[in-house]
Amino acid sequence: MKKPALIISSLIILVLVLSVVKIFISNQVATSGVILGKIEEEAANLKTENILLSEKLYTKSALTSIDSEAEKMGFVTPKTEFVLSGQMPVAFKQ
Amino acid sequence: MIWRYRIAFLGILFLFFLVVVRLFYWQVVKAQELSLIAQDQYGTTLKLTPERGEIRTSDNFPLATNKLSYLVFANPKEIKNAGETSALLSSVLGVDLSSVSADLSLDKFWVPVKSGVDSDTKQKLEAMNLAGIGFDSEYQRFYPEASMAAQLLGFVGKDDQGNDKGYFGLEGYYDRLLQGKAGTAVQINDAFGRPILAQANQATGEVDGSNLILSIDRSIQFLAEQKIKDGVQLYGATSGMVGIMDPKTGQILAMAAYPNFDPRDYSDYTDDLYKNPFISDLYEPGSTFKPLIMSSALDAKVVTPQTKCDICDKPVSVSGYDIHTWDDKYFPNTNMIDVIQHSDNTGMVFVAQKMGLDKTLDYLGKFGIGNTTGIDLQGEVSATLRPKNQWYAVDLATTAFGQGISVTPVELLDATAAIANDGVEMEPHVVSAIEDPDGNIVKIPPKTISTPIDSGTAKAMTEIMVNAVEKGEASWARLKGYRIAGKTGTASIPIQGHYDPTQTIASFVGFAPAENPKFVMLVILNRPTTSIYGSETAAPIFFDIAKSLLGYYGIPPDENN
Repeated sequence: MKKPALIISSLIILVLVLSVVKIFISNQVATSGVILGKIEEEAANLKTENILLSEKLYTKSALTSIDSEAEKMGFVTPKTEFVLSGQMPVAFKQ
Repeated sequence: MIWRYRIAFLGILFLFFLVVVRLFYWQVVKAQELSLIAQDQYGTTLKLTPERGEIRTSDNFPLATNKLSYLVFANPKEIKNAGETSALLSSVLGVDLSSVSADLSLDKFWVPVKSGVDSDTKQKLEAMNLAGIGFDSEYQRFYPEASMAAQLLGFVGKDDQGNDKGYFGLEGYYDRLLQGKAGTAVQINDAFGRPILAQANQATGEVDGSNLILSIDRSIQFLAEQKIKDGVQLYGATSGMVGIMDPKTGQILAMAAYPNFDPRDYSDYTDDLYKNPFISDLYEPGSTFKPLIMSSALDAKVVTPQTKCDICDKPVSVSGYDIHTWDDKYFPNTNMIDVIQHSDNTGMVFVAQKMGLDKTLDYLGKFGIGNTTGIDLQGEVSATLRPKNQWYAVDLATTAFGQGISVTPVELLDATAAIANDGVEMEPHVVSAIEDPDGNIVKIPPKTISTPIDSGTAKAMTEIMVNAVEKGEASWARLKGYRIAGKTGTASIPIQGHYDPTQTIASFVGFAPAENPKFVMLVILNRPTTSIYGSETAAPIFFDIAKSLLGYYGIPPDENN
């Protein structure tokens, strides 16, 4: 007769403990929404900044942009062709 | 006493009736509205617009990407001084003052003021702290290289529902792949509107668009665009185009046309500039078609390079039409090498007559003439070859020198590439790989279309074309030190059933280096005015580009050539 009573009381205690844990965790998690909001906002800001920087980088490194900048700086199209037919070593072994 | 009970009963019944009516009002009549308010309190449902895929050149630089822009909107009910706000918005956004004033005087909670506003302008407006003015972020197509390869890219417009849709070129052909899939997200809020973590962000279904990685070489594309623009202006042509392809893989290295349009402001241009003339314009190719007919005849073994033409001493009469050479000079007993060198129309009539209609049509089919090439761009057309029973003797004769038959530039480029590639014709392709949103890259392998001629014939034809470059009409423009195979073309333009002798399409097709081609190129000028001939207009542009390309590929000149 003692065994069923022990099981039942253990179960009741377990249910009570789990309920308390659930209430505690739910409480903790529910208030984390504010932090989540801030993290999401920060992520969105970083993404926006990344997109804006990429836009600037692409604009500056576009051939059309480099060409016009080079022209302003006095670069001219070479009149003679110079062909590098193979990869040259950085240094020769003597 | 009974009447008192009855009155009380009826009174209670009436009160019940009122309760039922009220319940009906809230639960049936106002049900939808209340449901929306409840949903709004519970959380917010957002439509997640996927980011459209990028289009990148072979060096991974985006020709088309996305940038953040903003929609400026107003809540007229929150604006205190509409006149002052209108004036400020008008000056900062560059919108007509009367238009802004009209928007702000509307009896609405939300009116759009201007879309496509950049981040600097948005920051200026934010600093002004204007009441009732808000911003929504949106993605807008951004072209770092401005109008480079515009007709190859196409543009992004709107469909019937106001959603982004690609039109023409790559944007049109790969629209589904680029646009991705829209999704929704639900954000659950607490009583103060703050997000609750427990069930936050139930985002479903959103898939960003895939990126296209092109075979287009940005440096070659830039070079081609500059040279064709300069060429059109120098030779007084109405338009011009150039296509450059790797004959071994079919990959398009550059495709440029002038005039073109700016995809950022496509609506400012006429519709005819949207299409890519290299795949959408049909024209009579003239003498640039001769290598195809000659190589067919060599492959069919009806002639050899040394075969003598016994009808080349004077104009040839076919079905009552006299066919002349372009300069009215005639070369009795000329051989096939010289026929191509002199671009001899009578010699080509001799070749076509040796071939006959059946073999000619068979070889044209093998070269893909009369069919689309299958290039992965929206808007490719082709002129189907007439049925055999509608061909007359004169049609066969004129086809031999590229008149009376229409092709697209890409059709001719691809067919010529077969000569450069040992007789094997590849499917032209602009996209070399596709990158999905997870970063996985799927390469598109080269695809063989057909083998119209055998390797030996291709080599023989290459030598004939090298001879044409070195000794033909365009030899003055050739590059010394390089063996380049090529052919000039000066095609008359049919206008109202007749050919106008003063208006031509000047072109040059060729490949280099002849023994191991790195590229095949076709240059076309429409109605040049300084000279009508391809040898004096298109050829110098071809050799100018070829010179830079050979240097770019690190191929040095050989002093023996």
